[in-house]
Amino acid sequence: MPAMNMIQALRSAMDIMLERDPDVLVFGEDVGFFGGVFRCTEGLQQKYGKRRVFDSPIAEAGIVATAVGMGAYGLRPVVEIQFADYIYPATDQLISEAARLRYRSAGDFTAPLTVRAPYGGGIFGGQTHSQSPEAIFTHVAGLKTVIPSTPYDAKGLLIAAIEDDDPVMFFEPKRIYNGPFDGHHERPVTPWAKHPASDVPDGYYTIPLGQANVVRPGDAVTVLAYGTMVHVALAAAEDSGVDAEVIDLRTLNPLDLDTIVDSVKKTGRCVVVHEATRIGGFGGELSAVVQEHCFYHLEAPVQRVTGWDTPYPHAFEWEYFPGPKRVAEALRQAVEA
Amino acid sequence: MGLYSFKLPDVGEGTAEAEIAAWHVKVGDLVTEDQHLVDIMTDKAVVEISSPVAGKILVLHGDAGQMRPVGSTLIEFEIDGVGNAKAEAPKPASVPAVAPAPAAAPSAPQAPVAAKASEPAPRPALTLVSPPVPTAPAAVTPAFATRLAGDKPQASPAVRQRAWDLGIELQFVPGTGPAGRITHADLDAFVAAGGTTAVGSVQARALTRDGVEEIKVIGLRRKIAEKMQEAKRRIPHFSYVEEVDVTALEELRQHLNGEKKDRPKLTLLPFLLRAMVKALPDFPQINARFDDDAGVVHRHAAVHAGIATQTPSGLVVPVVAHAEALDLWQAAAEIARLATAARDGKATREELSGSTITITSLGPMGGIVSTPVINRPEVAIVGVNKIVERPMVRGGQIVVRKMMNLSSSFDHRVVDGWDAAEFIQRIRGLLEQPATLFMD
Repeated sequence: MPAMNMIQALRSAMDIMLERDPDVLVFGEDVGFFGGVFRCTEGLQQKYGKRRVFDSPIAEAGIVATAVGMGAYGLRPVVEIQFADYIYPATDQLISEAARLRYRSAGDFTAPLTVRAPYGGGIFGGQTHSQSPEAIFTHVAGLKTVIPSTPYDAKGLLIAAIEDDDPVMFFEPKRIYNGPFDGHHERPVTPWAKHPASDVPDGYYTIPLGQANVVRPGDAVTVLAYGTMVHVALAAAEDSGVDAEVIDLRTLNPLDLDTIVDSVKKTGRCVVVHEATRIGGFGGELSAVVQEHCFYHLEAPVQRVTGWDTPYPHAFEWEYFPGPKRVAEALRQAVEA
Repeated sequence: MGLYSFKLPDVGEGTAEAEIAAWHVKVGDLVTEDQHLVDIMTDKAVVEISSPVAGKILVLHGDAGQMRPVGSTLIEFEIDGVGNAKAEAPKPASVPAVAPAPAAAPSAPQAPVAAKASEPAPRPALTLVSPPVPTAPAAVTPAFATRLAGDKPQASPAVRQRAWDLGIELQFVPGTGPAGRITHADLDAFVAAGGTTAVGSVQARALTRDGVEEIKVIGLRRKIAEKMQEAKRRIPHFSYVEEVDVTALEELRQHLNGEKKDRPKLTLLPFLLRAMVKALPDFPQINARFDDDAGVVHRHAAVHAGIATQTPSGLVVPVVAHAEALDLWQAAAEIARLATAARDGKATREELSGSTITITSLGPMGGIVSTPVINRPEVAIVGVNKIVERPMVRGGQIVVRKMMNLSSSFDHRVVDGWDAAEFIQRIRGLLEQPATLFMD
């Protein structure tokens, strides 16, 4: 199997779907001729033509609105928002239109669009290139929210998202586009080529939405993470020596409750990790479901390791980014409680 | 498998809603058809609701003490075969049900009224019976405390769950974890030591007691409370106490009890009832019910005598209907029968309704004087105090006589003091000269 980084895996997914399904379209800002700001769509316009892979105006609301209309008429658009930070102009189209179309029309129309958006920090993008807005969308009934953490998962999940009849928010952790990042920013970055998850099949395969992945088994504490934080959590488990079970959620909505509950019932402890700010973050939801379903198995309070409640600071990125040191401390606190 | 939705039936009187007095099943229970599920209270009575189907309990709607509208879904079952509810009926997880056992704190008190399964119906009528003293939560085991009163034990939910399962009160378990938290190891040590090792060196000493227990007034107790409140709020009571020399009556009673073995044993109550039956025709305003909304006193020719009866779940008042038509032994048999039915919870609604005057007695606990509360809408209640031997002056000599007080209350809106006193004096005369009880 070829080694792919996450960008290549995503491109492979779109390539396969453009080829397999004539209803699939790819469009967004600079995704055509230029191949996308992160080059995820490089070469696709040349291969499939300007009618299926094309550039759009710099107008996120228009991009998503167009995709909703296309979806209603039977197409399967895959749109790119250059950075998740830019998605807010399109939120009305996503929340008020895309998410509701199936319900509003009693199933006569669907909005099977996939919205790809690179998100998260760790690349010194500053306030407007590093945000993690996933919780906003997990709160919206009718939207699905997916966040991969490896090239292999990225491809399988993106194909599943494109095939899904509901609108899917597909947030891509851009910090790990080119290689896994364990949060130790002072260390040299390892490329994906040396990681098992870069063994990505050339052909078609899917990973079902709503299925979490236990990436590290353990008995002492359960860590719930997604995206870049999966790798940070793995590093923290190693650094702390705590026998942590790390679960990569892969999709936040639908959420794989069974895997979470089984693990927390086994370990009796839970630490939630995400890059987004804490207040109203998805960690609150995770904490709540753990409490609801596992209360009498808990040996310690559920802990959250998150970004701080400020806009993403350019100058203090590593202080803001939930690194392995903070996660390891939370692991130790959990087991010592 | 199907879903079966059981709706709260109209349990009588066309009421719009009824109170859940006590659940006898919990979510997850497998029940058989006709199994006793829940006690429902109306204005008059506790009604036992049995299961219409066999199946598994998925959802219980409402907690003990809550009112539920008639016709609303009370219980949802999962049954074999086709149910009567649509598949999209609420899933068990989505509807809060009666708190499952582990959710309750180990010391959570259960309302005494709700705890009884099949207690007799409530009665509007009521007398001076002290409410049952709430009992302390059962099974607080060890005798030693390891932390000061007011210091709550700290432990994780998992430890609390395990302690609950083991029946251990965490208050008595020393904690060695961070900040004094109780760990699983502490529980293990506590169990291994028979529950007392950790405090074995502590000498038994008088411990201060702390804490306040909240007992919700629900079910029969609530009905009694409402009726009492209403009676005292609306009726201007006046009480009248007179002493009665029952020496002769007691001789007659013992004589009759010793003479006829095949007849029911006579207590004082049948004699009192007979005295009232003989006296009441001359006091029609006292054998009556007062509709104060309409401003009408309903004088009754028949004497339907309520007999206030203490039962394990509270006070109820079965009614001796047409007491005027019963002889002494018939009255005794009827009083005994009704008292048993009331205590067993078998008294019917008819047997608990329609009294025109009430007798209340605390039996051997009867004290010297009491202030009975009128069984509204009646206008009079006659209370019996305890028979005691007292030194009395008769013909200038001190003699020992068996004396008993009658403490009675009247509705002063429609009964004057003079009439009330005359009524009680008439009864006194009949009881002191028991032969007159049997003369026309």
